[in-house]
Amino acid sequence: LRRDLACAALGLAIAGAYWAAARELPRSMLSDAVGADGVPTGLAFLLVFFSLLIAVRALFKKQERTEERQNHVRALGVAVLGFAYIALAPLAGYLVSSTALAGAAAVYYGAPRNVDTVAFATGSAALLWLVFGRMLGIALP
Amino acid sequence: MHELALAWQALAGSWAIPAAFAGCAWGIIGGALPGISPSIAMALLLPFTHGMEPVAAIVMLASVYVGAEYGGSIPAILIRTPGTNAAAATVIDGFEMNRRGRGGEALGISLMSGLVGGLFGLLVLAAATGPLARVALAFTAPAYFALGILGLSAIAGLSGRSLVKGAFAACLGLMLATVGTDPVSGVPRFTFDSPDLLAGIRPIVVMVGLFAVTELIAQVVEPDWEKPPGSAARLRLPDWAMWKRLARPQGIGAVIGAFEGATPGAAGSVAAFLAYNEARRWSRHPEEFGKGSPEGVAAPECANNVVTGTALVPLLALGIPGSNSAAVLMGGLLLHGLTPGPMLFVKNPEVVYGLYSGLLVANIAMVVLGLVILTPCLWLVSRPKHYLMAFILVLVVTGVYAIGQSLFDVGIALGVGVLGYGLRYFGVPQLPLVLGAVLGFMVESNYRRALQLSGGEHLIFLQDPVSLGLLICAAALVVYSLIKRNE
Repeated sequence: LRRDLACAALGLAIAGAYWAAARELPRSMLSDAVGADGVPTGLAFLLVFFSLLIAVRALFKKQERTEERQNHVRALGVAVLGFAYIALAPLAGYLVSSTALAGAAAVYYGAPRNVDTVAFATGSAALLWLVFGRMLGIALP
Repeated sequence: MHELALAWQALAGSWAIPAAFAGCAWGIIGGALPGISPSIAMALLLPFTHGMEPVAAIVMLASVYVGAEYGGSIPAILIRTPGTNAAAATVIDGFEMNRRGRGGEALGISLMSGLVGGLFGLLVLAAATGPLARVALAFTAPAYFALGILGLSAIAGLSGRSLVKGAFAACLGLMLATVGTDPVSGVPRFTFDSPDLLAGIRPIVVMVGLFAVTELIAQVVEPDWEKPPGSAARLRLPDWAMWKRLARPQGIGAVIGAFEGATPGAAGSVAAFLAYNEARRWSRHPEEFGKGSPEGVAAPECANNVVTGTALVPLLALGIPGSNSAAVLMGGLLLHGLTPGPMLFVKNPEVVYGLYSGLLVANIAMVVLGLVILTPCLWLVSRPKHYLMAFILVLVVTGVYAIGQSLFDVGIALGVGVLGYGLRYFGVPQLPLVLGAVLGFMVESNYRRALQLSGGEHLIFLQDPVSLGLLICAAALVVYSLIKRNE
């Protein structure tokens, strides 16, 4: 019940913010009758409608007990590692930042802090640098 | 008979066979790497074809397309990361099969369904280029809008336990598709003055974020996977009983892929999702879909490989490149002084029939190469979970960066991954969001173009016969899904 209500509240918040941003869109001389904000406004109302439906159904639904207890904050740490990579890559370059990401992620997933993990991180970064940077000629950071 | 002789001469008298194998191998590698789409894999090879003879060059480029469309399914099944847009539908049951220790079987089904699809697509390309090209020509803005609505109607079947939550997710996907420059007026929308967002959010970035990053986040707190028994870690081709079971989803995938492929702009991802949805609708075991159904792998894989043949129909018959990959192939033709279109059949028939025979070799090459590389791929993904997950994270980050050489895209993929994790927590299905993100631009731009054509009159969607037919199909699919759901 609480999850569905939270989902509905989040949907309403997203719809509200999206609708407000759509209202701020500039009008162009080239615009058609629908306008740049026409479809977004319709989508915002649809999201409000479905969010309210989720909330109403949650209120009238038989409550289900969920036993699941997971550490969601710890799970989201992977995304934090990814964002740290984005900050580091322009400064340290691809090889260093990818080695750091591979090593940190392996330890985060439970790898031992030993020379094997260092070798894995260095090897992974070097392999991907060879494939993407050398073979495919992509300009890596 | 004369055409067969031309095809044989083209194969025997040139480097077409080695070119088909080399192109297919390159395509499988490119398709299996997230961030390298079939068109990018083809474009990377395009300069190298300059010095080659025309038939071998065109065969090589077309073989990259065949290989890449198949290659996209390998990471989709093994690491829940679609290598290409069209492989997104394969993730659903392919990864579930792998998670249950049936990865080798899923890869075998995907390989064989790819072969069936590739050969059927080639047959359609050779036999029906003329009639299908006329169908493609009949597609106007209202028809494209209706095609998008038909694609969105699959949400009714893909929403899992809650249709309302499916529609909620689809709204979020459609909202993501509105980010970027407005398709009609050119006004920047929801870009927050960031030049990185002017071109919009690429659907492949959304897919990689939603499937791969979400799974990487979830795996931190999930217990270790059960190690598959030794036999499951090897490629397993379908036996006779499985072939019989797969015949229906493959047939559905083949028909949908033939029509979608011949329609410029429709692309393999729409075909794959529609085929998945229809295969489930007509299956004797619909309850297995989403839990590791072999039919759920066969239908989308067959459909997106049919598209590799039929997507060339508008290019060869009309000179219209209907997809990015067809546009690169058109570049290859032009590079060799060949102009695609009806006159190609008159002036350079050896190129056309050489391409047909080259595609046949490419499909055989796909199976041969698949048999060689898939067992090592299975071994790789059965390494210790902490190393495997860390490697996938770096691969995903690098692959997403490679798409547009933009760290901003990496941030978007990570953000979408967090969103996907949130959706999972709230029990909201993810597939409708993907459909919304893929089809949003097509639906909105054609809706508004159609209204401009009609002076704001919505009746245009009912007056255009193709649009009307597609809208009736969409309504029928939704009603049928609702009835089945209530049953």
